[in-house]
Amino acid sequence: MKHDFEVKIQARLDGELSEQEARRMDEWIARDAEAGALAAELGRLKGVLSRNETAAAVPESREFYWSKIQREIQRMDRSVVAARGGWSWRRWAKPLAGLAALGCVLAIVRWETSPPAFDEISATGEGMEAITFHDQSAGMTVVWLQDSTPQVKKASDAPAAPISIPDPGESEVE
Amino acid sequence: MSTDHEKSALAEPDLVGLAQQGELTAFEELVARHRDKIYARAYSMMRNEDEALDLSQDAWVKGWQRLKQFQGDSSFVTWMTRIVINLCLDQLRKQKRQRAESIEAMEEESGGVERHMPVIVANPTEGLERAELRARIDRALGQLSNEHRTVLVLHEFEELEYKEIARRMKCSIGTVMSRLFYARRRMASLLAGLKRENSE
Repeated sequence: MKHDFEVKIQARLDGELSEQEARRMDEWIARDAEAGALAAELGRLKGVLSRNETAAAVPESREFYWSKIQREIQRMDRSVVAARGGWSWRRWAKPLAGLAALGCVLAIVRWETSPPAFDEISATGEGMEAITFHDQSAGMTVVWLQDSTPQVKKASDAPAAPISIPDPGESEVE
Repeated sequence: MSTDHEKSALAEPDLVGLAQQGELTAFEELVARHRDKIYARAYSMMRNEDEALDLSQDAWVKGWQRLKQFQGDSSFVTWMTRIVINLCLDQLRKQKRQRAESIEAMEEESGGVERHMPVIVANPTEGLERAELRARIDRALGQLSNEHRTVLVLHEFEELEYKEIARRMKCSIGTVMSRLFYARRRMASLLAGLKRENSE
């Protein structure tokens, strides 16, 4: 007999088949002697097993058995309490860390945006360079204006003289 | 707070309610009432006294931790039995992973000798006293492989459906059907063999 049919006979006994399938299986079991014998064997065993489980008992006294459970429960409860204590500390640690981080950011921003004790700004235009020096402590601003036209350019008035024009980006503060 | 004596007189739902409020003495009474059943289920699956003791006690600890989740949809002891079954299944899975792949293990899946066994026509348990019958069934269960015994225990004693067994054992329904079939055939053969041994 195919294994598929064997497990179907079993499924029929266990009430795992649909009504239609169960009817078909019943007809087949009634017709086929081998199927009938297998169904009888499985049915007998099912009946015997379901009513005869051995009743094992704990081989320890009530107090001894309970003491291990109680110890473990108390140990777990202590660790939960400890974890809760740690949690309350951590509950404050997070906002404090956030505040500290915010303080750092504000200090950096403030430091970067506040004017320094003195500052020097250089601006270069075509043919002119301006340098501004600001001394906050002295409350003084000095502006230099200077002609940045290269000397060679002035000499270019002379015809056929070679002209060398420096890169304006390379202007330097003097 | 009521005394231990008063606790033993309380109905189970009241005890569960008290335990859910954190009363350990109420939980102790529940353990005392059902410890044999929980231990017996662990023993029927593990077939080892020490393992069954440890797992049943672990189940009670887990039960205490999850007690607030118990809604009373089933009886308290049924709920506890599910916990111990899951712990046993986890333990059996661990043991299976440690066990080397063997011919025996492969034969368990394909049926091994049970595949070729003739059908047992006579009733091997006929005429036996109940205690003797139970002892024989217990001995035969002890000779089954872990997989075969587990599926048989879950189906015959816990009355779980194929689908539920498959979910708990993390296998297909087809595997459950196959294992159950071969487990039954082996049981029939073992019981018949035991009867022959006794009559000789």
